[in-house]
Amino acid sequence: MSSSKLKSTAWLESHSGKFFIQFISVVGFFAIWQIAAQMGLVSEFLIGTPLGIWKKFIASVLDYSIFIDTGYTLWEALLGFVIGTVVGTILGLALWYSKWAAQITEPFIVAINSVPKIALAPIILLWFGTGLGAKVVLVVSMTAIIALIAAHQASKDADKDLQSLLFSMGGTKHQIFFEAIVPSSMPAIVSNFRINVGFGLVGAVVGEFISSKAGLGHMIYNASSLYELNSVWVGLFTLMIVGFCLYHCIDALEKYLFPWRSDDGRTQIRM
Amino acid sequence: MSSSEIQLSINGIHKSFPSKAGPVEVLKGLTFDVHEQDFISIIGPSGCGKSTIFNIIAGLLEADDGSLIYRGEKTKSLRGRIGYMMQKDLLFPWKTVLDNVLLGLKVRGETGQYAIDTAREYLSTFGLSGFEKAYPQTLSGGMRQRVALIRTLLMDPDILLLDEPFSALDYQTRLYLESVLLDAVATFKKTVILVTHDIDEAVALSKRVVALSTRPTLVKNVHEIDIERTSPIDARAHKNFSEYFNLLCSELDIQTKKDALV
Repeated sequence: MSSSKLKSTAWLESHSGKFFIQFISVVGFFAIWQIAAQMGLVSEFLIGTPLGIWKKFIASVLDYSIFIDTGYTLWEALLGFVIGTVVGTILGLALWYSKWAAQITEPFIVAINSVPKIALAPIILLWFGTGLGAKVVLVVSMTAIIALIAAHQASKDADKDLQSLLFSMGGTKHQIFFEAIVPSSMPAIVSNFRINVGFGLVGAVVGEFISSKAGLGHMIYNASSLYELNSVWVGLFTLMIVGFCLYHCIDALEKYLFPWRSDDGRTQIRM
Repeated sequence: MSSSEIQLSINGIHKSFPSKAGPVEVLKGLTFDVHEQDFISIIGPSGCGKSTIFNIIAGLLEADDGSLIYRGEKTKSLRGRIGYMMQKDLLFPWKTVLDNVLLGLKVRGETGQYAIDTAREYLSTFGLSGFEKAYPQTLSGGMRQRVALIRTLLMDPDILLLDEPFSALDYQTRLYLESVLLDAVATFKKTVILVTHDIDEAVALSKRVVALSTRPTLVKNVHEIDIERTSPIDARAHKNFSEYFNLLCSELDIQTKKDALV
Protein backbone atom coordinates (compact mmCIF):
# COMPACT_ATOMS: atom_id res chain seq x y z
CA MET A 1 0.00 0.00 0.00
CA SER A 2 2.61 2.48 1.10
CA SER A 3 4.87 1.44 -1.73
CA SER A 4 2.19 2.19 -4.31
CA LYS A 5 1.63 5.57 -2.70
CA LEU A 6 5.35 6.25 -3.00
CA LYS A 7 5.20 5.20 -6.61
CA SER A 8 2.39 7.62 -7.41
CA THR A 9 4.18 10.66 -5.93
CA ALA A 10 7.30 9.61 -7.80
CA TRP A 11 5.30 9.56 -11.01
CA LEU A 12 3.90 13.01 -10.29
CA GLU A 13 7.44 14.33 -9.92
CA SER A 14 8.49 12.83 -13.22
CA HIS A 15 8.47 14.86 -16.41
CA SER A 16 5.22 13.46 -17.78
CA GLY A 17 3.66 13.66 -14.33
CA LYS A 18 4.40 17.36 -14.09
CA PHE A 19 2.98 17.89 -17.54
CA PHE A 20 -0.16 16.03 -16.55
CA ILE A 21 -0.68 18.21 -13.48
CA GLN A 22 -0.19 21.38 -15.49
CA PHE A 23 -2.55 20.17 -18.20
CA ILE A 24 -5.24 19.33 -15.67
CA SER A 25 -4.92 22.71 -13.95
CA VAL A 26 -5.27 24.62 -17.23
CA VAL A 27 -8.26 22.55 -18.35
CA GLY A 28 -9.79 22.99 -14.89
CA PHE A 29 -9.33 26.75 -15.10
CA PHE A 30 -11.23 26.96 -18.40
CA ALA A 31 -13.92 24.58 -17.18
CA ILE A 32 -14.56 26.72 -14.10
CA TRP A 33 -14.62 29.84 -16.24
CA GLN A 34 -17.15 28.29 -18.64
CA ILE A 35 -19.41 26.99 -15.88
CA ALA A 36 -19.26 30.25 -13.94
CA ALA A 37 -20.28 32.18 -17.06
CA GLN A 38 -23.13 29.82 -17.85
CA MET A 39 -24.42 29.98 -14.29
CA GLY A 40 -24.32 33.75 -14.52
CA LEU A 41 -21.65 34.16 -11.81
CA VAL A 42 -19.55 36.22 -14.19
CA SER A 43 -20.76 38.38 -17.04
CA GLU A 44 -20.42 36.66 -20.38
CA PHE A 45 -20.71 40.06 -22.02
CA LEU A 46 -17.77 41.63 -20.17
CA ILE A 47 -15.52 38.61 -19.75
CA GLY A 48 -16.40 36.21 -22.53
CA THR A 49 -16.45 32.43 -22.33
CA PRO A 50 -13.97 29.75 -23.37
CA LEU A 51 -16.46 28.20 -25.80
CA GLY A 52 -17.21 31.58 -27.33
CA ILE A 53 -13.48 32.24 -27.70
CA TRP A 54 -13.05 28.88 -29.37
CA LYS A 55 -15.82 29.60 -31.88
CA LYS A 56 -14.31 32.98 -32.74
CA PHE A 57 -10.92 31.37 -33.08
CA ILE A 58 -12.20 28.74 -35.52
CA ALA A 59 -14.00 31.42 -37.50
CA SER A 60 -10.82 33.51 -37.74
CA VAL A 61 -8.88 30.44 -38.84
CA LEU A 62 -11.46 29.65 -41.50
CA ASP A 63 -11.37 33.12 -43.01
CA TYR A 64 -7.57 33.26 -42.55
CA SER A 65 -7.85 36.58 -40.74
CA ILE A 66 -5.95 35.28 -37.69
CA PHE A 67 -2.98 34.32 -39.87
CA ILE A 68 -2.97 37.66 -41.65
CA ASP A 69 -3.17 39.60 -38.40
CA THR A 70 -0.53 37.45 -36.71
CA GLY A 71 1.69 37.77 -39.76
CA TYR A 72 1.47 41.56 -39.72
CA THR A 73 2.24 41.86 -36.04
CA LEU A 74 4.99 39.27 -36.11
CA TRP A 75 6.63 40.88 -39.11
CA GLU A 76 6.55 44.35 -37.53
CA ALA A 77 7.88 43.03 -34.24
CA LEU A 78 10.63 40.90 -35.75
CA LEU A 79 11.81 43.43 -38.30
CA GLY A 80 11.96 46.13 -35.65
CA PHE A 81 13.58 43.81 -33.16
CA VAL A 82 16.29 42.71 -35.56
CA ILE A 83 17.10 46.24 -36.75
CA GLY A 84 16.94 47.70 -33.25
CA THR A 85 18.98 44.95 -31.66
CA VAL A 86 21.66 44.85 -34.33
CA VAL A 87 22.07 48.63 -34.41
CA GLY A 88 21.93 48.94 -30.62
CA THR A 89 24.36 46.09 -30.03
CA ILE A 90 26.91 47.37 -32.52
CA LEU A 91 26.75 50.88 -31.06
CA GLY A 92 26.91 49.54 -27.50
CA LEU A 93 29.98 47.44 -28.23
CA ALA A 94 31.58 50.24 -30.21
CA LEU A 95 31.36 52.46 -27.15
CA TRP A 96 33.97 50.17 -25.56
CA TYR A 97 36.38 51.31 -28.21
CA SER A 98 36.32 54.93 -27.19
CA LYS A 99 35.89 56.24 -23.67
CA TRP A 100 35.56 59.64 -25.23
CA ALA A 101 32.62 58.66 -27.40
CA ALA A 102 31.04 56.87 -24.46
CA GLN A 103 31.25 59.99 -22.33
CA ILE A 104 29.78 62.23 -25.01
CA THR A 105 26.87 59.94 -25.75
CA GLU A 106 26.09 59.05 -22.14
CA PRO A 107 23.70 61.96 -21.41
CA PHE A 108 21.79 61.23 -24.61
CA ILE A 109 21.55 57.54 -23.78
CA VAL A 110 20.31 58.32 -20.28
CA ALA A 111 17.81 60.84 -21.66
CA ILE A 112 16.46 58.54 -24.35
CA ASN A 113 16.30 55.65 -21.95
CA SER A 114 14.33 57.73 -19.44
CA VAL A 115 11.53 58.47 -21.90
CA PRO A 116 8.90 55.74 -22.06
CA LYS A 117 9.21 54.99 -25.76
CA ILE A 118 5.47 54.43 -26.03
CA ALA A 119 5.11 58.17 -25.52
CA LEU A 120 6.90 58.67 -28.82
CA ALA A 121 4.31 56.63 -30.68
CA PRO A 122 2.09 59.55 -31.78
CA ILE A 123 5.06 61.50 -33.20
CA ILE A 124 6.44 58.42 -34.91
CA LEU A 125 3.05 57.84 -36.53
CA LEU A 126 3.00 61.47 -37.63
CA TRP A 127 6.44 61.13 -39.19
CA PHE A 128 6.23 57.68 -40.65
CA GLY A 129 2.58 57.31 -41.47
CA THR A 130 0.17 54.57 -40.54
CA GLY A 131 1.80 51.69 -42.40
CA LEU A 132 4.43 49.14 -41.56
CA GLY A 133 7.22 51.73 -41.35
CA ALA A 134 5.85 53.49 -38.30
CA LYS A 135 5.45 50.28 -36.29
CA VAL A 136 8.94 49.13 -37.17
CA VAL A 137 10.37 52.50 -36.17
CA LEU A 138 8.47 52.34 -32.90
CA VAL A 139 9.85 48.88 -32.17
CA VAL A 140 13.36 50.00 -33.14
CA SER A 141 13.10 52.95 -30.76
CA MET A 142 12.15 50.58 -27.94
CA THR A 143 14.68 47.84 -28.58
CA ALA A 144 17.75 49.72 -29.81
CA ILE A 145 18.40 51.59 -26.60
CA ILE A 146 17.96 48.48 -24.48
CA ALA A 147 20.32 46.51 -26.71
CA LEU A 148 22.79 49.37 -26.62
CA ILE A 149 22.84 49.55 -22.85
CA ALA A 150 23.06 45.78 -22.50
CA ALA A 151 25.93 45.51 -24.97
CA HIS A 152 27.82 48.41 -23.44
CA GLN A 153 27.46 46.98 -19.95
CA ALA A 154 28.49 43.51 -21.13
CA SER A 155 31.58 44.93 -22.79
CA LYS A 156 32.51 46.67 -19.55
CA ASP A 157 31.99 43.43 -17.62
CA ALA A 158 34.26 41.39 -19.88
CA ASP A 159 36.96 39.52 -17.99
CA LYS A 160 39.84 41.94 -17.39
CA ASP A 161 42.36 39.13 -16.95
CA LEU A 162 41.67 37.78 -20.43
CA GLN A 163 42.20 41.26 -21.82
CA SER A 164 45.44 41.60 -19.87
CA LEU A 165 46.61 38.26 -21.20
CA LEU A 166 45.97 39.32 -24.79
CA PHE A 167 47.69 42.62 -24.15
CA SER A 168 50.75 40.92 -22.66
CA MET A 169 50.87 38.70 -25.75
CA GLY A 170 51.22 41.88 -27.77
CA GLY A 171 47.59 42.03 -28.85
CA THR A 172 46.26 45.27 -30.30
CA LYS A 173 43.09 47.01 -29.11
CA HIS A 174 41.40 45.68 -32.21
CA GLN A 175 42.41 42.10 -31.34
CA ILE A 176 41.34 42.50 -27.72
CA PHE A 177 37.98 43.75 -28.95
CA PHE A 178 37.34 40.84 -31.29
CA GLU A 179 39.01 38.07 -29.28
CA ALA A 180 37.83 39.00 -25.79
CA ILE A 181 35.24 41.78 -25.62
CA VAL A 182 32.82 40.65 -28.33
CA PRO A 183 32.70 36.92 -27.56
CA SER A 184 32.51 37.41 -23.82
CA SER A 185 29.70 39.97 -24.24
CA MET A 186 27.63 37.81 -26.54
CA PRO A 187 25.90 35.67 -23.88
CA ALA A 188 24.63 38.72 -22.00
CA ILE A 189 23.61 40.37 -25.28
CA VAL A 190 21.71 37.34 -26.53
CA SER A 191 20.13 36.75 -23.15
CA ASN A 192 18.77 40.28 -23.43
CA PHE A 193 17.05 39.31 -26.68
CA ARG A 194 14.37 37.73 -24.52
CA ILE A 195 13.41 41.09 -23.10
CA ASN A 196 13.74 42.83 -26.43
CA VAL A 197 11.63 40.37 -28.37
CA GLY A 198 8.88 41.07 -25.86
CA PHE A 199 9.31 44.79 -26.40
CA GLY A 200 9.09 44.13 -30.11
CA LEU A 201 5.56 42.80 -29.62
CA VAL A 202 4.66 45.68 -27.29
CA GLY A 203 5.78 48.23 -29.88
CA ALA A 204 3.97 46.52 -32.72
CA VAL A 205 0.71 46.16 -30.80
CA VAL A 206 0.74 49.71 -29.45
CA GLY A 207 1.48 51.02 -32.93
CA GLU A 208 -1.51 49.08 -34.21
CA PHE A 209 -3.72 50.41 -31.41
CA ILE A 210 -3.07 53.95 -32.52
CA SER A 211 -3.53 53.47 -36.20
CA SER A 212 -3.58 50.42 -38.42
CA LYS A 213 -5.39 48.36 -40.98
CA ALA A 214 -4.37 44.91 -39.77
CA GLY A 215 -2.49 43.08 -37.04
CA LEU A 216 -3.34 41.53 -33.70
CA GLY A 217 -3.31 44.93 -31.99
CA HIS A 218 -5.74 46.17 -34.60
CA MET A 219 -7.96 43.15 -34.06
CA ILE A 220 -7.92 43.49 -30.27
CA TYR A 221 -8.62 47.22 -30.39
CA ASN A 222 -11.49 46.90 -32.84
CA ALA A 223 -13.06 43.96 -31.06
CA SER A 224 -12.95 45.65 -27.69
CA SER A 225 -14.56 48.83 -29.02
CA LEU A 226 -17.37 46.57 -30.27
CA TYR A 227 -17.54 44.71 -26.92
CA GLU A 228 -16.59 41.50 -28.73
CA LEU A 229 -14.76 40.12 -25.71
CA ASN A 230 -14.34 36.67 -27.20
CA SER A 231 -12.47 38.13 -30.18
CA VAL A 232 -10.30 40.18 -27.83
CA TRP A 233 -9.31 36.96 -26.09
CA VAL A 234 -8.48 35.27 -29.39
CA GLY A 235 -6.07 38.12 -30.09
CA LEU A 236 -4.59 38.00 -26.61
CA PHE A 237 -4.10 34.24 -26.61
CA THR A 238 -2.49 34.42 -30.04
CA LEU A 239 -0.11 37.10 -28.78
CA MET A 240 0.65 34.88 -25.81
CA ILE A 241 1.52 31.99 -28.09
CA VAL A 242 3.62 34.20 -30.35
CA GLY A 243 5.51 35.60 -27.36
CA PHE A 244 6.04 32.12 -25.97
CA CYS A 245 7.40 30.82 -29.27
CA LEU A 246 9.74 33.79 -29.69
CA TYR A 247 11.04 33.30 -26.16
CA HIS A 248 11.83 29.67 -26.89
CA CYS A 249 13.43 30.58 -30.20
CA ILE A 250 15.87 32.72 -28.21
CA ASP A 251 16.52 29.75 -25.92
CA ALA A 252 17.29 27.57 -28.91
CA LEU A 253 19.46 30.31 -30.41
CA GLU A 254 21.44 30.50 -27.17
CA LYS A 255 22.04 26.77 -27.08
CA TYR A 256 23.13 26.87 -30.71
CA LEU A 257 25.42 29.89 -30.34
CA PHE A 258 27.07 28.98 -27.05
CA PRO A 259 27.74 25.25 -26.97
CA TRP A 260 30.58 25.95 -24.55
CA ARG A 261 28.11 27.17 -21.95
CA SER A 262 26.03 24.01 -21.79
CA ASP A 263 26.40 22.99 -18.19
CA ASP A 264 26.70 19.39 -17.15
CA GLY A 265 24.09 19.59 -14.43
CA ARG A 266 26.66 19.43 -11.67
CA THR A 267 26.17 23.07 -10.84
CA GLN A 268 22.47 22.70 -10.05
CA ILE A 269 21.43 22.69 -6.44
CA ARG A 270 18.56 20.57 -5.35
CA MET A 271 16.56 22.28 -2.64
CA MET B 1 74.94 25.85 -15.40
CA SER B 2 77.34 27.81 -17.56
CA SER B 3 74.98 30.40 -18.94
CA SER B 4 75.01 33.04 -16.25
CA GLU B 5 74.88 36.00 -18.61
CA ILE B 6 72.29 38.50 -17.59
CA GLN B 7 69.15 38.35 -19.70
CA LEU B 8 66.98 40.84 -17.86
CA SER B 9 67.91 43.46 -15.30
CA ILE B 10 65.20 44.88 -13.14
CA ASN B 11 66.63 48.18 -12.08
CA GLY B 12 65.36 50.33 -9.24
CA ILE B 13 61.68 49.90 -10.05
CA HIS B 14 59.36 52.19 -8.11
CA LYS B 15 55.61 51.91 -8.19
CA SER B 16 52.89 53.55 -6.12
CA PHE B 17 49.16 53.14 -6.34
CA PRO B 18 46.68 55.86 -5.52
CA SER B 19 44.31 55.22 -2.65
CA LYS B 20 41.92 57.26 -0.54
CA ALA B 21 44.63 57.90 2.04
CA GLY B 22 47.15 59.10 -0.52
CA PRO B 23 49.52 57.07 -2.67
CA VAL B 24 50.61 53.68 -1.38
CA GLU B 25 54.18 52.86 -2.21
CA VAL B 26 54.38 49.24 -3.26
CA LEU B 27 57.75 48.85 -4.95
CA LYS B 28 60.59 50.92 -3.61
CA GLY B 29 63.51 50.54 -5.94
CA LEU B 30 63.27 46.86 -6.70
CA THR B 31 66.45 45.51 -8.27
CA PHE B 32 67.49 42.04 -9.35
CA ASP B 33 68.91 40.25 -12.36
CA VAL B 34 67.56 37.34 -14.33
CA HIS B 35 70.14 35.16 -16.06
CA GLU B 36 69.85 33.43 -19.40
CA GLN B 37 67.92 30.20 -18.89
CA ASP B 38 67.42 31.07 -15.29
CA PHE B 39 64.72 29.63 -13.09
CA ILE B 40 64.14 32.31 -10.54
CA SER B 41 61.46 32.34 -7.89
CA ILE B 42 60.16 35.41 -6.15
CA ILE B 43 58.84 34.85 -2.67
CA GLY B 44 57.58 37.37 -0.22
CA PRO B 45 54.80 38.19 2.19
CA SER B 46 51.35 38.65 0.71
CA GLY B 47 50.63 42.09 -0.62
CA CYS B 48 54.30 42.82 -1.25
CA GLY B 49 53.68 43.53 -4.91
CA LYS B 50 54.85 40.32 -6.52
CA SER B 51 52.17 40.53 -9.16
CA THR B 52 52.92 44.23 -9.66
CA ILE B 53 56.44 43.34 -10.80
CA PHE B 54 54.98 40.91 -13.31
CA ASN B 55 52.50 43.44 -14.58
CA ILE B 56 55.32 45.92 -15.13
CA ILE B 57 57.44 43.37 -16.98
CA ALA B 58 54.44 42.33 -19.07
CA GLY B 59 53.61 45.93 -19.92
CA LEU B 60 50.27 45.95 -18.13
CA LEU B 61 51.49 48.61 -15.72
CA GLU B 62 54.03 51.37 -16.07
CA ALA B 63 56.70 51.83 -13.46
CA ASP B 64 56.92 55.25 -11.83
CA ASP B 65 60.68 55.07 -11.91
CA GLY B 66 63.45 52.64 -12.74
CA SER B 67 64.15 50.64 -15.85
CA LEU B 68 64.15 47.24 -17.41
CA ILE B 69 67.29 46.28 -19.30
CA TYR B 70 66.81 43.37 -21.65
CA ARG B 71 69.97 41.84 -23.09
CA GLY B 72 71.79 45.12 -22.70
CA GLU B 73 69.02 47.31 -24.07
CA LYS B 74 66.77 49.53 -22.06
CA THR B 75 63.14 48.63 -22.69
CA LYS B 76 59.78 49.79 -21.45
CA SER B 77 58.32 46.32 -21.13
CA LEU B 78 58.64 42.84 -22.55
CA ARG B 79 55.12 42.91 -23.96
CA GLY B 80 54.74 40.32 -26.71
CA ARG B 81 57.95 38.57 -25.72
CA ILE B 82 56.82 36.98 -22.49
CA GLY B 83 54.47 34.15 -21.68
CA TYR B 84 52.18 34.88 -18.76
CA MET B 85 50.56 32.20 -16.61
CA MET B 86 48.42 32.87 -13.59
CA GLN B 87 46.63 30.94 -10.90
CA LYS B 88 43.54 31.31 -13.04
CA ASP B 89 44.13 29.35 -16.22
CA LEU B 90 42.77 32.26 -18.29
CA LEU B 91 41.49 29.96 -20.97
CA PHE B 92 38.86 31.50 -23.20
CA PRO B 93 35.69 29.53 -22.39
CA TRP B 94 34.24 29.97 -25.87
CA LYS B 95 37.33 28.63 -27.59
CA THR B 96 38.14 24.97 -27.97
CA VAL B 97 41.36 23.62 -26.50
CA LEU B 98 43.06 23.85 -29.89
CA ASP B 99 41.95 27.44 -30.46
CA ASN B 100 43.00 28.39 -26.94
CA VAL B 101 46.43 26.95 -27.47
CA LEU B 102 46.77 28.79 -30.77
CA LEU B 103 45.71 32.14 -29.35
CA GLY B 104 49.19 33.58 -28.87
CA LEU B 105 50.17 32.71 -32.41
CA LYS B 106 46.93 34.11 -33.76
CA VAL B 107 47.58 37.41 -32.02
CA ARG B 108 50.92 37.49 -33.81
CA GLY B 109 49.28 36.67 -37.11
CA GLU B 110 50.63 33.14 -37.40
CA THR B 111 47.60 31.09 -38.34
CA GLY B 112 48.91 28.67 -40.94
CA GLN B 113 48.76 24.89 -41.05
CA TYR B 114 52.22 24.78 -39.50
CA ALA B 115 50.93 26.45 -36.34
CA ILE B 116 48.06 23.98 -36.11
CA ASP B 117 50.36 21.00 -36.62
CA THR B 118 52.75 22.25 -33.95
CA ALA B 119 49.87 22.81 -31.57
CA ARG B 120 48.61 19.26 -32.10
CA GLU B 121 52.10 17.94 -31.52
CA TYR B 122 52.39 19.84 -28.22
CA LEU B 123 48.94 18.66 -27.15
CA SER B 124 49.88 15.07 -27.70
CA THR B 125 53.24 15.54 -25.93
CA PHE B 126 51.38 16.83 -22.90
CA GLY B 127 48.82 14.03 -22.99
CA LEU B 128 45.95 16.10 -24.31
CA SER B 129 45.42 14.62 -27.76
CA GLY B 130 41.76 13.82 -28.28
CA PHE B 131 40.77 16.97 -26.41
CA GLU B 132 41.43 19.40 -29.28
CA LYS B 133 37.77 20.12 -29.80
CA ALA B 134 36.79 20.13 -26.12
CA TYR B 135 35.81 23.31 -24.33
CA PRO B 136 37.85 24.27 -21.26
CA GLN B 137 34.82 23.94 -18.99
CA THR B 138 34.78 20.20 -19.56
CA LEU B 139 38.41 19.72 -18.46
CA SER B 140 39.84 19.22 -14.98
CA GLY B 141 41.86 21.97 -13.32
CA GLY B 142 45.15 20.20 -14.01
CA MET B 143 44.30 19.71 -17.67
CA ARG B 144 43.29 23.33 -18.03
CA GLN B 145 46.57 24.47 -16.54
CA ARG B 146 48.42 22.19 -18.96
CA VAL B 147 46.52 23.81 -21.83
CA ALA B 148 47.56 27.21 -20.47
CA LEU B 149 51.17 26.01 -20.31
CA ILE B 150 51.08 24.80 -23.90
CA ARG B 151 49.58 28.10 -25.01
CA THR B 152 52.47 29.85 -23.27
CA LEU B 153 55.16 27.58 -24.72
CA LEU B 154 53.77 27.68 -28.26
CA MET B 155 54.35 31.41 -28.40
CA ASP B 156 58.01 30.64 -27.85
CA PRO B 157 58.41 33.52 -25.40
CA ASP B 158 61.81 34.71 -24.17
CA ILE B 159 60.72 34.58 -20.56
CA LEU B 160 57.92 32.73 -18.81
CA LEU B 161 56.22 34.72 -16.08
CA LEU B 162 54.43 32.31 -13.78
CA ASP B 163 52.23 33.89 -11.12
CA GLU B 164 51.38 31.10 -8.67
CA PRO B 165 50.24 28.95 -11.57
CA PHE B 166 49.67 25.80 -9.55
CA SER B 167 48.37 27.13 -6.28
CA ALA B 168 44.74 26.30 -7.05
CA LEU B 169 45.50 22.65 -7.78
CA ASP B 170 45.63 19.66 -5.48
CA TYR B 171 49.04 18.46 -4.36
CA GLN B 172 49.32 15.46 -6.67
CA THR B 173 48.36 17.44 -9.77
CA ARG B 174 50.71 20.12 -8.64
CA LEU B 175 53.71 17.79 -8.32
CA TYR B 176 52.92 16.39 -11.72
CA LEU B 177 52.64 19.82 -13.35
CA GLU B 178 55.82 20.99 -11.65
CA SER B 179 57.73 18.19 -13.31
CA VAL B 180 55.99 18.87 -16.64
CA LEU B 181 57.10 22.46 -16.28
CA LEU B 182 60.70 21.58 -15.39
CA ASP B 183 60.91 19.20 -18.36
CA ALA B 184 59.42 21.75 -20.72
CA VAL B 185 61.75 24.49 -19.52
CA ALA B 186 64.76 22.21 -19.97
CA THR B 187 63.63 21.02 -23.41
CA PHE B 188 62.77 24.44 -24.77
CA LYS B 189 65.57 26.23 -22.92
CA LYS B 190 63.36 28.87 -21.39
CA THR B 191 63.93 31.43 -18.69
CA VAL B 192 61.35 31.34 -15.94
CA ILE B 193 60.34 33.85 -13.31
CA LEU B 194 58.00 32.23 -10.84
CA VAL B 195 56.03 34.08 -8.20
CA THR B 196 54.95 31.81 -5.40
CA HIS B 197 54.02 31.94 -1.75
CA ASP B 198 55.06 28.33 -1.45
CA ILE B 199 58.64 28.01 -0.22
CA ASP B 200 58.62 24.29 -0.85
CA GLU B 201 57.80 24.87 -4.49
CA ALA B 202 60.35 27.66 -4.81
CA VAL B 203 63.18 25.48 -3.50
CA ALA B 204 62.14 22.41 -5.48
CA LEU B 205 62.03 24.23 -8.81
CA SER B 206 64.37 27.19 -8.80
CA LYS B 207 68.00 27.83 -9.43
CA ARG B 208 67.71 31.07 -7.53
CA VAL B 209 65.19 32.53 -5.11
CA VAL B 210 64.58 36.23 -4.59
CA ALA B 211 63.15 37.03 -1.18
CA LEU B 212 61.23 40.27 -0.91
CA SER B 213 60.52 42.46 2.10
CA THR B 214 57.14 43.77 3.20
CA ARG B 215 55.68 46.83 1.53
CA PRO B 216 57.25 49.14 0.39
CA THR B 217 59.09 46.30 -1.19
CA LEU B 218 62.80 45.81 -1.66
CA VAL B 219 64.82 42.74 -2.49
CA LYS B 220 65.95 41.31 0.82
CA ASN B 221 68.16 38.56 -0.43
CA VAL B 222 68.89 36.43 -3.45
CA HIS B 223 69.67 32.81 -2.67
CA GLU B 224 71.37 30.41 -5.03
CA ILE B 225 69.73 27.03 -4.69
CA ASP B 226 72.44 24.49 -5.27
CA ILE B 227 70.45 21.35 -5.85
CA GLU B 228 71.09 19.04 -8.79
CA ARG B 229 67.66 17.93 -9.77
CA THR B 230 66.07 15.76 -12.37
CA SER B 231 62.54 16.22 -11.05
CA PRO B 232 60.83 18.32 -8.41
CA ILE B 233 60.23 15.19 -6.39
CA ASP B 234 63.86 14.20 -6.05
CA ALA B 235 64.75 17.85 -5.45
CA ARG B 236 62.59 17.57 -2.35
CA ALA B 237 64.54 14.48 -1.34
CA HIS B 238 67.90 16.21 -1.77
CA LYS B 239 70.05 16.57 1.36
CA ASN B 240 70.24 20.36 1.02
CA PHE B 241 66.51 20.79 0.53
CA SER B 242 65.49 21.24 4.13
CA GLU B 243 68.38 23.58 4.79
CA TYR B 244 67.23 25.93 2.04
CA PHE B 245 63.66 25.48 3.09
CA ASN B 246 64.43 26.52 6.66
CA LEU B 247 66.58 29.40 5.52
CA LEU B 248 63.80 30.84 3.38
CA CYS B 249 61.19 30.13 6.02
CA SER B 250 63.05 32.10 8.61
CA GLU B 251 63.47 34.91 6.14
CA LEU B 252 59.74 35.09 5.55
CA ASP B 253 58.82 34.35 9.16
CA ILE B 254 60.32 37.55 10.44
CA GLN B 255 58.30 39.41 7.90
CA THR B 256 55.07 37.65 8.68
CA LYS B 257 55.51 38.51 12.35
CA LYS B 258 55.97 42.12 11.40
CA ASP B 259 52.82 41.81 9.33
CA ALA B 260 50.93 40.62 12.36
CA LEU B 261 51.83 43.77 14.25
CA VAL B 262 50.48 46.09 11.59
